[in-house]
Amino acid sequence: MIVPLPQLLAVSAGLFAIGLFGALTRKNAIGILMSIELILNSANLNLVAFNRIWGEPSGLGQVMALFVIGTAAGGAVVGLALILTIFRHRQTISADEIKLLKG
Amino acid sequence: MFAMSPGNPSIGPLDLAARAAFYGVACATLIGAAITVTARNLFRAALGLALALFGVAVLYLFLEAEFLAVSQLLIYVGAILTLIIFGVMLTAQIASPTQPRFNRQAGISLALALAVGLGLGWIFLTSGWPSPSPKEPPPAPVPLSALGRSLISIYLLPFELLSILLLGTLVGAIVIARKEKDPE
Repeated sequence: MIVPLPQLLAVSAGLFAIGLFGALTRKNAIGILMSIELILNSANLNLVAFNRIWGEPSGLGQVMALFVIGTAAGGAVVGLALILTIFRHRQTISADEIKLLKG
Repeated sequence: MFAMSPGNPSIGPLDLAARAAFYGVACATLIGAAITVTARNLFRAALGLALALFGVAVLYLFLEAEFLAVSQLLIYVGAILTLIIFGVMLTAQIASPTQPRFNRQAGISLALALAVGLGLGWIFLTSGWPSPSPKEPPPAPVPLSALGRSLISIYLLPFELLSILLLGTLVGAIVIARKEKDPE
């Protein structure tokens, strides 16, 4: 079966919107990180879907999705390291209480 | 791509079951995502994220991208999610139920996200994608050998750059997160 493309893209739009809401409203920095992972996944879904429907022979969409997964892993690692350090210094990871640089 | 009309003769019961499974997986993915952004308990949010990531992996299977589905399971569900759960555990006293979930921009953000999601969904569902005619066969899925070959030929440079980036994040994360030495 070939998946209906518009419905798949609608799922990805829904994932993106949910992730956007979470990234904008979550107080907890780890929650923001999780929402960003959702946004990256929705983009990946689009890449793979278009690759499948239009049949690019070298698999560009899948390769891009792989790179996105790899960079997301790196981003999550550095982000969590930063969050742990901030927690150790300030005993909070609430994103609106970290205002050391606010003038 | 098949037509959505019920009178299409090419839709057998197996196809119908596959379509029902597709919609079920799509719903599970969106529910997992909703749990991720709304759960008060961060650990529960991480479990919702696991459901969403797993659903996306199954959607990759529907798109016949098996290697990507396995990579998604290994890297996202296996590695990133474990890291996130470690992060939640290490900062556990902050994730208490008394903390508010959302900041004060919640209303305007909800409006923005709804506008973006409904707008994108409307565009995706109503725009006529140039679909191949039902007579000609759909394009074949990308075989794994072609994917591997293009990774070490056309896309070799980004592949190597990604490895350097991962080395950099490895060193950077250790430097950032290690305990500082005592001043004396």
